[in-house]
Amino acid sequence: MKARTLGPTVLMTLLLAAAVLASLALGDSNLSPREILGALLHRDDSFASTILWDIRLPRTLVGVAVGAGLAASGVVMQAFFRNALASPGLLGVSSGGALGAVAWMAFGGGAASLFLLPVASIAGAFVATGAVMFLARRGASPEHLLLSGVALNALFGAGTSFVLGMTAGQYHMAGQILFWLMGGIENRSWEHVWMGLPGIVVFCVLLVPLGRSMNLLSLGETGAQSLGVDVKRLRGQLIVLSTVLTALATAVGGVIGFVGLVVPHLLRLAFGPEHRRLLLLSMLGGAAMVLLCDLPTRYMPSGMRLGVVTALAGGPFLLWLLRRRPC
Amino acid sequence: MLACEGLTLGPRLQDVSLHLEPGLTVAVVGPNGAGKSTLLQVLAGLLHAEGHIRWDGRELARIPFLERGRTLAWLGQESHAEFAFPVRDVVAQGRHAWGDDDAGVDDAMATLDLQDLARRPVTELSGGERRRVFLARALATQAPIQLWDEPTSNLDVRHSLEVMALAKRLAEAGGTLVVTLHDLRQAFRFDRVAVLDHGRLVGFGKPHEVLTKDLIRSVFRVEATFVESLVLELPEGSGSAL
Amino acid sequence: MRRLLLMLLLLPALWSGVPPAAPQRVVSQTVGTDDLLLALAAPGQIAALSHLAQDERYSPSFREARKHPHLANSDAEAVLRFRPDLVIATSYTEAEVLNLLRRAKVNLLILERYETLQDLYANARRIGKALGREARAEELIRQWQARVEALRVKLQGVKPVRVLAVGLYPFTAGAGTTFQDLCEHAGALNVAAEAGLKGHAPTPGEQVLSWRTEVLVAPGEPGFDMKARLLELPPYKFLPALKQGRLVELPGSLMAATSQARIDGYEQLARALHPERFK
Repeated sequence: MKARTLGPTVLMTLLLAAAVLASLALGDSNLSPREILGALLHRDDSFASTILWDIRLPRTLVGVAVGAGLAASGVVMQAFFRNALASPGLLGVSSGGALGAVAWMAFGGGAASLFLLPVASIAGAFVATGAVMFLARRGASPEHLLLSGVALNALFGAGTSFVLGMTAGQYHMAGQILFWLMGGIENRSWEHVWMGLPGIVVFCVLLVPLGRSMNLLSLGETGAQSLGVDVKRLRGQLIVLSTVLTALATAVGGVIGFVGLVVPHLLRLAFGPEHRRLLLLSMLGGAAMVLLCDLPTRYMPSGMRLGVVTALAGGPFLLWLLRRRPC
Repeated sequence: MLACEGLTLGPRLQDVSLHLEPGLTVAVVGPNGAGKSTLLQVLAGLLHAEGHIRWDGRELARIPFLERGRTLAWLGQESHAEFAFPVRDVVAQGRHAWGDDDAGVDDAMATLDLQDLARRPVTELSGGERRRVFLARALATQAPIQLWDEPTSNLDVRHSLEVMALAKRLAEAGGTLVVTLHDLRQAFRFDRVAVLDHGRLVGFGKPHEVLTKDLIRSVFRVEATFVESLVLELPEGSGSAL
Repeated sequence: MRRLLLMLLLLPALWSGVPPAAPQRVVSQTVGTDDLLLALAAPGQIAALSHLAQDERYSPSFREARKHPHLANSDAEAVLRFRPDLVIATSYTEAEVLNLLRRAKVNLLILERYETLQDLYANARRIGKALGREARAEELIRQWQARVEALRVKLQGVKPVRVLAVGLYPFTAGAGTTFQDLCEHAGALNVAAEAGLKGHAPTPGEQVLSWRTEVLVAPGEPGFDMKARLLELPPYKFLPALKQGRLVELPGSLMAATSQARIDGYEQLARALHPERFK
């Protein structure tokens, strides 16, 4: 690994490790590092072991998956649209996922639907993805895709609002829907981990080798093509990878904004735009950000959802950084 | 040799046929909208047009992308950069098709007078400096066919002359150089001139033979007079290391 | 080797001879089950009540609830903190929470139905059995039945008053809600159910004027002038009943109660609607 990459990678890895440790330790009952280690090495029926294995560990792993997936997707969107303010939600995939989940919660069934809820979300996201892929295959430019994303976001958003309005009188259901729309990783179990983590890890790994071509793409499509990049193919690959990552992250974590925008943006300002490095650092940083933002939600009233914390944290930080160094 | 026949793309190009031989510098001129940039993009394989383009007898469309990247280099009109890559990294992107990161990058930077800017983020440079960076990137590809769209725009007088001297040197070393220009006076420094008007090729040959008063009047709709005037040249024995 | 065989022979005896001990650390996960747990449990059996147990707006037994700890929130982890040996929840508890509690091998008692009085008695029996307090459950059920019967007798032959559930938000309660149940036991007719509405539904802005509502029933909060607020809100402000001041305020927790507190609700509403029967 080049010198310019090693330092930042170590830094982000340490940050993520600290976040993981905090996520395992803190909560309604705080576990000491010794208890955590003991419970990790030796799984039994003790209180610490139950909390760690059944609650904290799945929650932490889902948080890592969601953060890494959203941040990686954000890097791709920013390179694809050649705009440092792009985010995973631009193409309409996360709002498709939201509509799928919300429709399932409203009409699909109660307790029996625990694991079908993420599936319904993925189905909704893939409808959106299908629309995007269809346009991309016909050679739509990034500008066209952006506009279609605007339209899809509006359409799916309207559908979600409609469902929310229809179920508003059923307070419990409306509350659950609202909470899902604000994002959150509480009460996640190993099923959620299996649904989200392997897919996200695989697709993140598939992204990294495309980093070199993304460097070229991010300075102009025509220039990249003239230098030997198969731009049409690359765009297709990037769309597929980004939309799947966003869909999986939304399915297991609800709608969480800002991670996909802020993490790549900040890391690019700090460590440069080289995409192989940026992808790796963003995955680590996104995972850390989600875990750290999840910590306050364990102590505050239920209105402080994960999506709210990420926005409250990300927004002002970004403003502050931009003030110091106009990019 | 780069040969194209019957290139047609809607109203932008109509039945353009050219034979571009190695060792010659070719200037493509014409009024706005004549199709100069379009022609260059088609030759580079970046736009699809009807007709044939052959490189040494092979159809360009059949050549795989990476090999095309090693064969031709294209410099566009825009030199916009959204992300703050260091200058050297941008130039090194020219090696993408070769798979290595380094061969010839320093030379390309020296040729375009960019050594002092190597670590600077490309977004912080002036328009002219950025132009030179992208030109260096095209050079770094070491491709035998170089297609440059208005390479001297935004460049100061000295750098403009250096670019044209560079083109000459590359041609003398066996390259094929096609450059679009706005300034007709610069066209006289080139070995051949191709004149486009509304997508049609209306003249191809040596500058003095093609750029006659009558042609200039009919294509550019201006009156031309040949005079002795300010002529700018690089000093003897100068020019960058290459 | 022989000692091992001996131990193996003794195991079944150990299993069958000793009765299972009654749970000593019971947690109620929803506000709907707090009341039942408080009524049925023996002293020291309750480990924690729901996170809304002490909230006057939702919990009918908020005063009594102050004697016990309550959950910090409705997550599985908050429940596990009390190391419960029995958790009482309902079918509207989040599926994820129930799943995690099952994973942690906690005994779960989930109440599926809670709309009618029969459901209440069945739930009381179930919880009583789980707590080892069957006798207490039967005694309470007798008391409740007696109250309901006494109320029925008092209201015999009364003409049902036409009522509508109102509030700060434009929703009303139709058929199949706890409000409907309240009406049936308090000598009232729910005009929304008569008009065909089911469950909690938005109040139709114009139709409501044709329902001939005689009295409005709203959840009241102490110190809050519900009548003044309702007079500002369409469509309620147009209802003759409101303009003539025929508004009954019940504690919000009673209007939505699924536990035995609903009987208090029946009695309060009956008194308000038929004062002449209670002299």
